[in-house]
Amino acid sequence: MSPKGSSCVNNVSRKWRKRFVVASFLSPALLLYVVFMIFPIGQAVRLSLYDWDGGSREMNFVGLDNYWLTLQDNVFIQALKHNVIWMVLDLILMVLPVLALAVMISRLDKGKLFFRAGFYLPAVLSLPVIGILWGKIYDPLIGPVNAILKAVGLEFLAFNWLGDPRTVLISLVLVGVWAFYGLYMILFLAGLQSIDQSLYESAEIDGAGPLRKFWSITVPALRNTMNVVISLVIIYGFKSFGLIWIMTLGGPYYTSEVLATYIYKAAFIANKISYGAAGSVILAIIVVLLTIVFNASREREG
Amino acid sequence: MLRSLWAKRHAQKWLWFSLTLLLLVVAAPLVWVVLGAFKTNAEIFGNPFSLPQSWKLDNLIQAWELGNFKTYLWNSIFITAGAMILVLLSACPAGYALAQLNFRGSQWLFYFFLLGMAIPIQSIIIPIFLQMKSMNLINSLTGVVVVSAAFALPFSVFLMRNSFRDIPSEIREAAMMDGAEEWRAFVSIMLPMAKPGIVVLMVFTFMSVWNDFMLPLVLLISNSKFTLALGLYSFNSEQSTQYGLVFGGTLITMIPSIIVYLIFQRQFTSGMAAGMGK
Repeated sequence: MSPKGSSCVNNVSRKWRKRFVVASFLSPALLLYVVFMIFPIGQAVRLSLYDWDGGSREMNFVGLDNYWLTLQDNVFIQALKHNVIWMVLDLILMVLPVLALAVMISRLDKGKLFFRAGFYLPAVLSLPVIGILWGKIYDPLIGPVNAILKAVGLEFLAFNWLGDPRTVLISLVLVGVWAFYGLYMILFLAGLQSIDQSLYESAEIDGAGPLRKFWSITVPALRNTMNVVISLVIIYGFKSFGLIWIMTLGGPYYTSEVLATYIYKAAFIANKISYGAAGSVILAIIVVLLTIVFNASREREG
Repeated sequence: MLRSLWAKRHAQKWLWFSLTLLLLVVAAPLVWVVLGAFKTNAEIFGNPFSLPQSWKLDNLIQAWELGNFKTYLWNSIFITAGAMILVLLSACPAGYALAQLNFRGSQWLFYFFLLGMAIPIQSIIIPIFLQMKSMNLINSLTGVVVVSAAFALPFSVFLMRNSFRDIPSEIREAAMMDGAEEWRAFVSIMLPMAKPGIVVLMVFTFMSVWNDFMLPLVLLISNSKFTLALGLYSFNSEQSTQYGLVFGGTLITMIPSIIVYLIFQRQFTSGMAAGMGK
Protein backbone atom coordinates (compact mmCIF):
# COMPACT_ATOMS: atom_id res chain seq x y z
CA MET A 1 0.00 0.00 0.00
CA SER A 2 1.33 3.43 -0.90
CA PRO A 3 1.94 5.91 1.91
CA LYS A 4 -0.70 8.19 0.46
CA GLY A 5 -3.39 5.48 0.51
CA SER A 6 -2.72 4.46 4.08
CA SER A 7 -3.02 8.03 5.33
CA CYS A 8 -6.32 8.33 3.52
CA VAL A 9 -7.66 5.19 5.19
CA ASN A 10 -6.32 6.52 8.45
CA ASN A 11 -8.15 9.80 7.93
CA VAL A 12 -11.43 8.10 7.26
CA SER A 13 -11.15 5.86 10.29
CA ARG A 14 -10.09 8.80 12.43
CA LYS A 15 -13.11 10.72 11.28
CA TRP A 16 -15.41 7.86 12.23
CA ARG A 17 -13.57 7.45 15.48
CA LYS A 18 -14.16 11.06 16.33
CA ARG A 19 -17.82 10.77 15.42
CA PHE A 20 -18.08 7.74 17.63
CA VAL A 21 -16.44 9.57 20.55
CA VAL A 22 -18.71 12.61 20.13
CA ALA A 23 -21.75 10.37 19.99
CA SER A 24 -20.70 8.54 23.14
CA PHE A 25 -20.57 11.86 24.99
CA LEU A 26 -23.89 13.09 23.72
CA SER A 27 -26.11 10.05 23.50
CA PRO A 28 -27.24 9.68 27.15
CA ALA A 29 -28.47 13.28 27.28
CA LEU A 30 -29.96 13.16 23.81
CA LEU A 31 -31.78 9.94 24.53
CA LEU A 32 -33.39 11.24 27.73
CA TYR A 33 -34.20 14.57 26.16
CA VAL A 34 -35.72 13.25 22.97
CA VAL A 35 -37.71 10.44 24.58
CA PHE A 36 -39.13 12.46 27.49
CA MET A 37 -39.38 15.99 26.13
CA ILE A 38 -39.28 16.24 22.35
CA PHE A 39 -41.34 13.17 21.59
CA PRO A 40 -44.07 14.15 24.10
CA ILE A 41 -44.38 17.57 22.48
CA GLY A 42 -45.11 15.85 19.17
CA GLN A 43 -47.52 13.53 20.96
CA ALA A 44 -49.37 16.47 22.52
CA VAL A 45 -49.86 17.98 19.08
CA ARG A 46 -50.98 14.64 17.64
CA LEU A 47 -53.42 13.93 20.47
CA SER A 48 -54.94 17.37 20.14
CA LEU A 49 -56.01 16.55 16.59
CA TYR A 50 -58.05 13.50 17.61
CA ASP A 51 -61.14 12.86 19.64
CA TRP A 52 -60.03 10.42 22.31
CA ASP A 53 -60.94 9.75 25.94
CA GLY A 54 -57.69 8.00 26.84
CA GLY A 55 -59.13 4.51 27.10
CA SER A 56 -61.07 3.50 24.01
CA ARG A 57 -59.47 1.87 20.99
CA GLU A 58 -60.98 4.29 18.59
CA MET A 59 -59.31 7.56 17.81
CA ASN A 60 -61.20 9.81 15.42
CA PHE A 61 -59.26 12.43 13.58
CA VAL A 62 -61.06 15.73 14.07
CA GLY A 63 -58.52 18.26 12.84
CA LEU A 64 -58.56 21.53 14.73
CA ASP A 65 -61.99 20.94 16.32
CA ASN A 66 -60.55 20.60 19.82
CA TYR A 67 -58.90 23.99 19.46
CA TRP A 68 -62.15 25.65 18.40
CA LEU A 69 -63.98 24.00 21.26
CA THR A 70 -61.32 25.03 23.75
CA LEU A 71 -61.26 28.61 22.56
CA GLN A 72 -65.04 28.78 22.83
CA ASP A 73 -65.05 27.32 26.32
CA ASN A 74 -65.82 30.08 28.77
CA VAL A 75 -63.83 28.38 31.52
CA PHE A 76 -60.75 28.23 29.31
CA ILE A 77 -61.01 31.93 28.49
CA GLN A 78 -61.49 32.69 32.19
CA ALA A 79 -58.41 30.61 32.98
CA LEU A 80 -56.36 32.47 30.40
CA LYS A 81 -57.58 35.75 31.85
CA HIS A 82 -56.54 34.65 35.34
CA ASN A 83 -53.07 33.81 34.04
CA VAL A 84 -52.78 37.31 32.62
CA ILE A 85 -54.02 38.90 35.87
CA TRP A 86 -51.59 36.72 37.82
CA MET A 87 -48.74 37.84 35.58
CA VAL A 88 -49.60 41.56 35.81
CA LEU A 89 -49.95 41.45 39.59
CA ASP A 90 -46.66 39.58 39.85
CA LEU A 91 -44.95 42.21 37.72
CA ILE A 92 -46.27 44.97 39.98
CA LEU A 93 -45.56 43.18 43.26
CA MET A 94 -42.28 41.49 42.46
CA VAL A 95 -40.10 43.59 40.20
CA LEU A 96 -39.56 46.99 41.83
CA PRO A 97 -40.34 46.03 45.46
CA VAL A 98 -37.93 43.10 45.31
CA LEU A 99 -35.33 45.28 43.64
CA ALA A 100 -35.73 47.77 46.50
CA LEU A 101 -35.21 44.95 48.98
CA ALA A 102 -32.08 43.81 47.16
CA VAL A 103 -30.71 47.36 47.10
CA MET A 104 -31.28 47.66 50.84
CA ILE A 105 -29.45 44.41 51.50
CA SER A 106 -26.59 45.34 49.21
CA ARG A 107 -26.07 48.64 51.08
CA LEU A 108 -25.40 46.92 54.38
CA ASP A 109 -21.88 47.11 55.76
CA LYS A 110 -22.38 44.04 57.89
CA GLY A 111 -24.89 41.20 57.83
CA LYS A 112 -25.42 40.97 54.09
CA LEU A 113 -25.13 37.20 54.08
CA PHE A 114 -27.48 36.83 57.02
CA PHE A 115 -30.27 38.82 55.43
CA ARG A 116 -29.75 37.25 52.03
CA ALA A 117 -30.06 33.80 53.56
CA GLY A 118 -33.03 34.76 55.70
CA PHE A 119 -35.03 36.34 52.95
CA TYR A 120 -34.35 33.42 50.62
CA LEU A 121 -35.76 30.89 53.09
CA PRO A 122 -39.36 30.70 51.75
CA ALA A 123 -37.99 29.87 48.30
CA VAL A 124 -36.52 26.56 49.48
CA LEU A 125 -39.84 25.16 50.70
CA SER A 126 -41.95 22.87 48.55
CA LEU A 127 -45.27 24.10 47.21
CA PRO A 128 -47.39 21.75 49.38
CA VAL A 129 -45.69 23.16 52.48
CA ILE A 130 -46.34 26.71 51.33
CA GLY A 131 -49.87 26.03 50.11
CA ILE A 132 -50.98 24.23 53.27
CA LEU A 133 -49.31 26.76 55.54
CA TRP A 134 -50.99 29.70 53.83
CA GLY A 135 -54.27 27.85 53.56
CA LYS A 136 -54.29 27.78 57.35
CA ILE A 137 -53.27 31.44 57.58
CA TYR A 138 -56.25 32.42 55.42
CA ASP A 139 -58.53 29.99 57.24
CA PRO A 140 -61.58 31.93 58.52
CA LEU A 141 -61.80 29.74 61.65
CA ILE A 142 -58.25 29.56 62.92
CA GLY A 143 -56.26 31.91 60.71
CA PRO A 144 -54.47 34.97 62.03
CA VAL A 145 -55.41 37.16 59.03
CA ASN A 146 -59.04 37.54 60.05
CA ALA A 147 -58.11 37.59 63.73
CA ILE A 148 -55.92 40.64 63.08
CA LEU A 149 -58.62 42.34 61.01
CA LYS A 150 -61.18 41.77 63.75
CA ALA A 151 -58.80 43.00 66.42
CA VAL A 152 -58.25 46.32 64.65
CA GLY A 153 -61.94 46.82 63.95
CA LEU A 154 -61.91 45.95 60.26
CA GLU A 155 -64.34 43.10 60.68
CA PHE A 156 -66.06 43.89 57.39
CA LEU A 157 -62.78 42.95 55.63
CA ALA A 158 -62.66 39.51 57.22
CA PHE A 159 -63.37 37.53 54.07
CA ASN A 160 -63.30 33.83 53.56
CA TRP A 161 -60.20 34.61 51.52
CA LEU A 162 -59.87 31.41 49.52
CA GLY A 163 -63.58 30.64 49.37
CA ASP A 164 -64.79 33.99 48.11
CA PRO A 165 -64.69 34.60 44.34
CA ARG A 166 -63.81 38.25 44.97
CA THR A 167 -60.66 37.57 46.97
CA VAL A 168 -59.39 34.16 45.92
CA LEU A 169 -57.13 35.21 43.06
CA ILE A 170 -55.37 38.05 44.85
CA SER A 171 -54.93 35.85 47.93
CA LEU A 172 -53.23 33.20 45.80
CA VAL A 173 -51.05 35.77 44.04
CA LEU A 174 -49.78 37.02 47.41
CA VAL A 175 -48.81 33.50 48.41
CA GLY A 176 -47.02 33.13 45.08
CA VAL A 177 -45.09 36.31 45.77
CA TRP A 178 -44.02 34.97 49.17
CA ALA A 179 -43.00 31.68 47.61
CA PHE A 180 -40.99 32.99 44.67
CA TYR A 181 -39.61 36.47 45.39
CA GLY A 182 -36.41 34.93 46.81
CA LEU A 183 -35.19 33.85 43.41
CA TYR A 184 -35.60 37.35 41.97
CA MET A 185 -33.93 38.89 45.01
CA ILE A 186 -30.91 36.67 44.41
CA LEU A 187 -30.79 37.65 40.75
CA PHE A 188 -30.96 41.36 41.63
CA LEU A 189 -28.29 40.97 44.30
CA ALA A 190 -25.98 39.31 41.77
CA GLY A 191 -26.65 42.13 39.33
CA LEU A 192 -26.05 44.81 41.96
CA GLN A 193 -22.73 43.24 42.86
CA SER A 194 -21.42 43.83 39.37
CA ILE A 195 -22.07 47.60 39.39
CA ASP A 196 -18.95 49.72 39.57
CA GLN A 197 -19.02 51.37 43.03
CA SER A 198 -17.04 54.40 41.84
CA LEU A 199 -20.13 55.50 39.89
CA TYR A 200 -21.95 56.04 43.17
CA GLU A 201 -19.02 57.83 44.73
CA SER A 202 -18.73 60.34 41.93
CA ALA A 203 -22.50 60.85 41.95
CA GLU A 204 -22.31 61.57 45.66
CA ILE A 205 -19.65 64.19 45.03
CA ASP A 206 -22.05 65.76 42.53
CA GLY A 207 -24.62 65.87 45.30
CA ALA A 208 -27.03 63.21 44.04
CA GLY A 209 -29.51 61.87 46.58
CA PRO A 210 -30.40 58.20 47.06
CA LEU A 211 -33.43 58.28 44.74
CA ARG A 212 -31.49 60.05 42.04
CA LYS A 213 -28.68 57.51 42.31
CA PHE A 214 -31.18 54.68 42.14
CA TRP A 215 -32.86 55.92 38.94
CA SER A 216 -29.77 57.16 37.11
CA ILE A 217 -27.20 54.51 38.09
CA THR A 218 -28.78 51.38 39.56
CA VAL A 219 -31.72 50.91 37.21
CA PRO A 220 -29.82 51.39 33.94
CA ALA A 221 -26.95 49.19 35.12
CA LEU A 222 -29.39 46.42 35.96
CA ARG A 223 -31.04 46.40 32.57
CA ASN A 224 -29.95 42.87 31.78
CA THR A 225 -30.98 41.49 35.15
CA MET A 226 -34.25 43.34 34.88
CA ASN A 227 -34.89 41.71 31.54
CA VAL A 228 -34.22 38.23 32.94
CA VAL A 229 -36.44 38.86 35.97
CA ILE A 230 -39.32 40.26 33.95
CA SER A 231 -39.23 37.42 31.46
CA LEU A 232 -39.15 34.83 34.26
CA VAL A 233 -42.06 36.51 36.06
CA ILE A 234 -44.12 36.55 32.88
CA ILE A 235 -43.35 32.97 31.93
CA TYR A 236 -43.99 31.66 35.46
CA GLY A 237 -47.26 33.56 35.36
CA PHE A 238 -48.43 31.20 32.66
CA LYS A 239 -47.01 28.08 34.25
CA SER A 240 -48.44 28.35 37.76
CA PHE A 241 -50.11 25.17 38.90
CA GLY A 242 -48.98 23.75 42.24
CA LEU A 243 -50.09 26.45 44.67
CA ILE A 244 -53.47 26.80 43.03
CA TRP A 245 -54.07 23.07 42.88
CA ILE A 246 -53.14 22.66 46.52
CA MET A 247 -55.08 25.63 47.87
CA THR A 248 -58.25 25.92 45.76
CA LEU A 249 -58.28 23.34 42.92
CA GLY A 250 -59.14 26.29 40.68
CA GLY A 251 -62.29 27.10 42.62
CA PRO A 252 -64.63 28.40 43.84
CA TYR A 253 -66.63 28.28 40.60
CA TYR A 254 -63.49 28.41 38.42
CA THR A 255 -62.57 31.84 39.84
CA SER A 256 -58.97 30.75 40.34
CA GLU A 257 -58.76 28.43 37.36
CA VAL A 258 -55.60 28.85 35.27
CA LEU A 259 -54.42 27.10 32.11
CA ALA A 260 -52.44 24.43 33.93
CA THR A 261 -55.31 23.46 36.27
CA TYR A 262 -57.67 23.48 33.29
CA ILE A 263 -55.41 21.09 31.39
CA TYR A 264 -54.98 18.84 34.39
CA LYS A 265 -58.73 18.63 35.01
CA ALA A 266 -59.55 17.98 31.37
CA ALA A 267 -57.03 15.16 31.07
CA PHE A 268 -56.96 13.46 34.45
CA ILE A 269 -60.40 14.10 35.90
CA ALA A 270 -62.79 14.53 32.97
CA ASN A 271 -60.98 11.97 30.73
CA LYS A 272 -61.00 14.40 27.85
CA ILE A 273 -57.43 13.68 26.85
CA SER A 274 -57.53 15.28 23.43
CA TYR A 275 -59.25 18.35 24.76
CA GLY A 276 -56.57 18.75 27.43
CA ALA A 277 -53.91 18.22 24.79
CA ALA A 278 -55.26 21.13 22.78
CA GLY A 279 -55.02 23.31 25.90
CA SER A 280 -51.45 22.06 26.43
CA VAL A 281 -50.44 23.03 22.95
CA ILE A 282 -51.95 26.50 23.33
CA LEU A 283 -50.05 26.93 26.61
CA ALA A 284 -46.81 25.75 24.99
CA ILE A 285 -47.24 28.16 22.09
CA ILE A 286 -47.80 31.10 24.48
CA VAL A 287 -44.78 30.26 26.62
CA VAL A 288 -42.42 29.47 23.74
CA LEU A 289 -43.41 32.66 21.91
CA LEU A 290 -42.86 34.76 25.03
CA THR A 291 -39.47 33.13 25.58
CA ILE A 292 -38.40 33.81 22.02
CA VAL A 293 -39.59 37.42 22.15
CA PHE A 294 -37.68 38.07 25.36
CA ASN A 295 -34.50 36.41 24.18
CA ALA A 296 -34.63 38.31 20.91
CA SER A 297 -35.06 41.63 22.70
CA ARG A 298 -32.24 40.79 25.08
CA GLU A 299 -29.95 39.92 22.21
CA ARG A 300 -30.81 43.13 20.41
CA GLU A 301 -30.05 45.21 23.49
CA GLY A 302 -27.03 43.26 24.70
CA MET B 1 -16.39 64.62 57.45
CA LEU B 2 -17.29 63.57 60.95
CA ARG B 3 -20.83 64.57 60.26
CA SER B 4 -21.11 62.44 57.11
CA LEU B 5 -19.63 59.50 58.98
CA TRP B 6 -22.28 59.94 61.64
CA ALA B 7 -24.99 60.15 58.95
CA LYS B 8 -23.68 56.99 57.41
CA ARG B 9 -23.80 55.08 60.69
CA HIS B 10 -27.26 56.40 61.24
CA ALA B 11 -28.31 55.18 57.78
CA GLN B 12 -26.86 51.74 58.52
CA LYS B 13 -28.89 51.55 61.71
CA TRP B 14 -32.04 52.41 59.82
CA LEU B 15 -31.27 49.79 57.19
CA TRP B 16 -30.74 47.16 59.85
CA PHE B 17 -33.91 48.13 61.63
CA SER B 18 -36.14 48.08 58.57
CA LEU B 19 -34.66 44.89 57.16
CA THR B 20 -35.08 43.13 60.49
CA LEU B 21 -38.69 44.24 60.68
CA LEU B 22 -39.32 43.06 57.13
CA LEU B 23 -37.65 39.73 57.76
CA LEU B 24 -39.86 39.21 60.80
CA VAL B 25 -42.94 39.80 58.67
CA VAL B 26 -41.70 37.38 56.00
CA ALA B 27 -40.74 34.74 58.55
CA ALA B 28 -43.91 35.09 60.64
CA PRO B 29 -45.83 32.38 58.72
CA LEU B 30 -43.01 29.92 59.37
CA VAL B 31 -42.92 30.77 63.08
CA TRP B 32 -46.67 30.38 63.19
CA VAL B 33 -46.59 26.87 61.70
CA VAL B 34 -43.85 25.82 64.11
CA LEU B 35 -45.90 27.07 67.06
CA GLY B 36 -49.00 25.39 65.66
CA ALA B 37 -47.21 22.07 65.53
CA PHE B 38 -46.98 22.12 69.34
CA LYS B 39 -50.56 23.17 70.01
CA THR B 40 -53.59 21.02 70.68
CA ASN B 41 -56.63 21.45 68.48
CA ALA B 42 -58.37 23.34 71.30
CA GLU B 43 -55.48 25.79 71.54
CA ILE B 44 -55.47 26.25 67.78
CA PHE B 45 -59.10 27.27 67.84
CA GLY B 46 -58.32 29.77 70.58
CA ASN B 47 -56.11 32.79 70.13
CA PRO B 48 -54.01 32.30 66.97
CA PHE B 49 -51.15 34.32 68.47
CA SER B 50 -50.81 32.45 71.74
CA LEU B 51 -47.77 30.34 72.52
CA PRO B 52 -48.32 26.59 72.98
CA GLN B 53 -49.02 25.64 76.58
CA SER B 54 -46.45 22.87 76.50
CA TRP B 55 -43.74 21.87 74.05
CA LYS B 56 -44.82 18.27 73.67
CA LEU B 57 -43.99 16.44 70.48
CA ASP B 58 -47.39 14.69 70.31
CA ASN B 59 -48.45 16.21 67.00
CA LEU B 60 -45.14 15.45 65.35
CA ILE B 61 -45.04 11.85 66.57
CA GLN B 62 -48.65 11.16 65.70
CA ALA B 63 -48.31 12.75 62.25
CA TRP B 64 -45.13 10.77 61.62
CA GLU B 65 -46.91 7.52 62.43
CA LEU B 66 -50.30 8.21 60.87
CA GLY B 67 -48.92 9.83 57.79
CA ASN B 68 -46.27 7.38 56.64
CA PHE B 69 -43.72 10.18 56.59
CA LYS B 70 -40.84 7.75 56.96
CA THR B 71 -41.78 6.13 53.66
CA TYR B 72 -42.27 9.52 52.02
CA LEU B 73 -38.84 10.62 53.19
CA TRP B 74 -37.16 7.54 51.75
CA ASN B 75 -39.03 7.89 48.46
CA SER B 76 -37.97 11.53 48.22
CA ILE B 77 -34.36 10.61 48.91
CA PHE B 78 -34.45 7.80 46.36
CA ILE B 79 -36.03 9.90 43.61
CA THR B 80 -33.86 12.95 44.21
CA ALA B 81 -30.61 10.98 44.45
CA GLY B 82 -31.49 8.94 41.38
CA ALA B 83 -32.32 12.01 39.33
CA MET B 84 -29.13 13.76 40.49
CA ILE B 85 -27.00 10.81 39.40
CA LEU B 86 -28.77 10.53 36.06
CA VAL B 87 -28.39 14.26 35.41
CA LEU B 88 -24.72 14.14 36.37
CA LEU B 89 -24.01 11.19 34.07
CA SER B 90 -25.82 12.67 31.09
CA ALA B 91 -25.44 16.46 31.34
CA CYS B 92 -21.69 16.57 32.10
CA PRO B 93 -20.50 14.64 29.04
CA ALA B 94 -23.04 16.42 26.83
CA GLY B 95 -22.03 19.86 28.08
CA TYR B 96 -18.40 18.92 27.60
CA ALA B 97 -18.95 17.75 24.05
CA LEU B 98 -20.86 20.90 23.15
CA ALA B 99 -18.20 23.16 24.67
CA GLN B 100 -14.93 21.43 23.83
CA LEU B 101 -15.27 18.91 21.02
CA ASN B 102 -15.53 20.93 17.86
CA PHE B 103 -17.85 18.97 15.67
CA ARG B 104 -20.18 19.96 12.89
CA GLY B 105 -23.59 21.00 14.10
CA SER B 106 -22.53 21.53 17.73
CA GLN B 107 -24.07 25.00 17.75
CA TRP B 108 -27.26 23.66 16.25
CA LEU B 109 -27.42 20.88 18.80
CA PHE B 110 -26.90 23.36 21.61
CA TYR B 111 -29.91 25.36 20.44
CA PHE B 112 -31.87 22.13 20.21
CA PHE B 113 -31.23 21.55 23.92
CA LEU B 114 -32.03 25.19 24.74
CA LEU B 115 -35.45 24.74 23.20
CA GLY B 116 -36.29 22.41 26.07
CA MET B 117 -35.89 25.23 28.58
CA ALA B 118 -38.86 26.95 26.98
CA ILE B 119 -41.16 23.92 27.00
CA PRO B 120 -43.57 24.10 29.93
CA ILE B 121 -43.89 20.80 31.76
CA GLN B 122 -47.64 21.37 32.00
CA SER B 123 -47.77 21.07 28.22
CA ILE B 124 -46.24 17.60 28.04
CA ILE B 125 -47.66 16.10 31.21
CA ILE B 126 -50.48 14.31 29.34
CA PRO B 127 -48.25 12.55 26.79
CA ILE B 128 -45.75 11.78 29.57
CA PHE B 129 -48.49 10.07 31.54
CA LEU B 130 -49.60 8.00 28.54
CA GLN B 131 -46.02 7.13 27.65
CA MET B 132 -45.22 5.98 31.18
CA LYS B 133 -48.42 3.97 31.19
CA SER B 134 -47.37 2.14 28.05
CA MET B 135 -43.91 1.55 29.56
CA ASN B 136 -45.49 0.22 32.75
CA LEU B 137 -43.84 2.95 34.78
CA ILE B 138 -46.92 4.44 36.43
CA ASN B 139 -46.68 4.33 40.22
CA SER B 140 -42.97 3.57 39.92
CA LEU B 141 -40.21 5.54 41.63
CA THR B 142 -37.88 4.73 38.76
CA GLY B 143 -40.33 6.31 36.36
CA VAL B 144 -40.31 9.55 38.34
CA VAL B 145 -36.49 9.46 38.50
CA VAL B 146 -36.13 9.17 34.74
CA VAL B 147 -38.70 11.83 33.84
CA SER B 148 -37.43 14.25 36.52
CA ALA B 149 -33.91 13.89 35.15
CA ALA B 150 -35.16 14.51 31.62
CA PHE B 151 -37.04 17.64 32.72
CA ALA B 152 -33.94 18.98 34.45
CA LEU B 153 -31.75 18.19 31.47
CA PRO B 154 -32.06 21.22 29.16
CA PHE B 155 -31.01 23.63 31.88
CA SER B 156 -28.31 21.22 33.08
CA VAL B 157 -26.77 20.84 29.64
CA PHE B 158 -26.83 24.62 29.26
CA LEU B 159 -25.13 25.07 32.63
CA MET B 160 -22.43 22.44 32.01
CA ARG B 161 -21.74 23.68 28.52
CA ASN B 162 -21.08 27.13 29.97
CA SER B 163 -18.89 25.69 32.73
CA PHE B 164 -16.78 23.67 30.29
CA ARG B 165 -16.50 26.62 27.94
CA ASP B 166 -14.85 28.62 30.71
CA ILE B 167 -12.00 26.10 30.76
CA PRO B 168 -9.27 26.96 28.19
CA SER B 169 -9.21 24.44 25.36
CA GLU B 170 -5.40 24.28 25.59
CA ILE B 171 -5.74 22.15 28.70
CA ARG B 172 -7.65 19.50 26.83
CA GLU B 173 -5.25 19.71 23.90
CA ALA B 174 -2.27 19.25 26.21
CA ALA B 175 -3.88 16.19 27.75
CA MET B 176 -4.63 14.76 24.32
CA MET B 177 -1.05 15.45 23.23
CA ASP B 178 0.14 13.23 26.05
CA GLY B 179 -1.86 10.49 24.39
CA ALA B 180 -4.89 10.45 26.65
CA GLU B 181 -8.13 9.19 25.21
CA GLU B 182 -11.00 11.66 25.04
CA TRP B 183 -12.97 10.04 27.84
CA ARG B 184 -9.92 9.80 30.05
CA ALA B 185 -9.06 13.46 29.49
CA PHE B 186 -12.65 14.29 30.34
CA VAL B 187 -12.90 12.23 33.51
CA SER B 188 -9.51 12.83 35.05
CA ILE B 189 -8.66 16.37 33.95
CA MET B 190 -11.63 18.36 32.71
CA LEU B 191 -14.33 17.12 35.09
CA PRO B 192 -12.44 18.10 38.27
CA MET B 193 -11.90 21.57 36.81
CA ALA B 194 -15.62 22.03 36.28
CA LYS B 195 -16.36 21.37 39.95
CA PRO B 196 -17.97 24.75 40.73
CA GLY B 197 -20.41 24.25 37.88
CA ILE B 198 -21.14 20.70 39.01
CA VAL B 199 -21.95 21.89 42.54
CA VAL B 200 -24.43 24.38 41.10
CA LEU B 201 -25.88 21.63 38.92
CA MET B 202 -26.41 19.35 41.89
CA VAL B 203 -27.99 22.06 44.05
CA PHE B 204 -30.31 23.04 41.22
CA THR B 205 -31.32 19.45 40.52
CA PHE B 206 -31.86 18.73 44.18
CA MET B 207 -34.12 21.75 44.57
CA SER B 208 -36.25 21.11 41.54
CA VAL B 209 -36.70 17.37 42.08
CA TRP B 210 -37.06 17.35 45.88
CA ASN B 211 -39.73 20.05 45.77
CA ASP B 212 -41.52 18.87 42.64
CA PHE B 213 -45.24 18.42 43.02
CA MET B 214 -46.87 18.02 39.63
CA LEU B 215 -44.90 15.08 38.29
CA PRO B 216 -45.31 12.88 41.40
CA LEU B 217 -48.98 13.90 41.51
CA VAL B 218 -49.49 12.58 38.00
CA LEU B 219 -47.22 9.53 38.05
CA LEU B 220 -47.58 8.14 41.58
CA ILE B 221 -50.79 6.50 42.72
CA SER B 222 -50.37 4.56 45.94
CA ASN B 223 -49.51 6.15 49.24
CA SER B 224 -46.46 3.94 49.73
CA LYS B 225 -44.82 5.55 46.68
CA PHE B 226 -45.45 9.19 47.59
CA THR B 227 -42.69 11.74 48.01
CA LEU B 228 -42.61 14.09 51.01
CA ALA B 229 -44.25 16.91 49.06
CA LEU B 230 -46.99 14.71 47.65
CA GLY B 231 -47.36 12.83 50.95
CA LEU B 232 -47.95 16.04 52.86
CA TYR B 233 -50.55 17.04 50.29
CA SER B 234 -52.47 13.80 50.75
CA PHE B 235 -52.01 13.88 54.54
CA ASN B 236 -53.57 17.34 54.56
CA SER B 237 -56.62 16.15 52.64
CA GLU B 238 -57.08 13.14 54.93
CA GLN B 239 -56.63 15.01 58.20
CA SER B 240 -57.96 18.39 57.16
CA THR B 241 -59.83 18.97 60.43
CA GLN B 242 -56.94 17.82 62.63
CA TYR B 243 -55.15 21.12 62.48
CA GLY B 244 -52.45 20.17 64.99
CA LEU B 245 -51.54 17.06 63.01
CA VAL B 246 -51.40 19.00 59.74
CA PHE B 247 -49.08 21.56 61.33
CA GLY B 248 -46.96 18.68 62.61
CA GLY B 249 -46.79 17.09 59.16
CA THR B 250 -45.94 20.42 57.58
CA LEU B 251 -43.11 20.95 60.06
CA ILE B 252 -41.79 17.43 59.38
CA THR B 253 -41.80 18.12 55.64
CA MET B 254 -40.06 21.48 56.08
CA ILE B 255 -37.18 20.22 58.19
CA PRO B 256 -35.14 18.32 55.56
CA SER B 257 -35.34 21.20 53.04
CA ILE B 258 -34.22 23.69 55.66
CA ILE B 259 -31.35 21.50 56.86
CA VAL B 260 -30.05 21.01 53.34
CA TYR B 261 -30.46 24.72 52.70
CA LEU B 262 -28.54 25.71 55.81
CA ILE B 263 -25.67 23.39 54.91
CA PHE B 264 -25.41 24.46 51.27
CA GLN B 265 -26.69 28.00 51.76
CA ARG B 266 -23.97 29.71 49.79
CA GLN B 267 -24.17 27.26 46.89
CA PHE B 268 -27.93 27.72 46.79
CA THR B 269 -27.89 31.45 46.43
CA SER B 270 -24.85 31.84 44.21
CA GLY B 271 -25.88 28.82 42.18
CA MET B 272 -29.34 30.08 41.43
CA ALA B 273 -27.94 33.44 40.33
CA ALA B 274 -25.29 31.86 38.13
CA GLY B 275 -27.78 29.49 36.63
CA MET B 276 -30.60 31.85 35.83
CA GLY B 277 -28.68 35.03 35.17
CA LYS B 278 -26.31 33.95 32.44
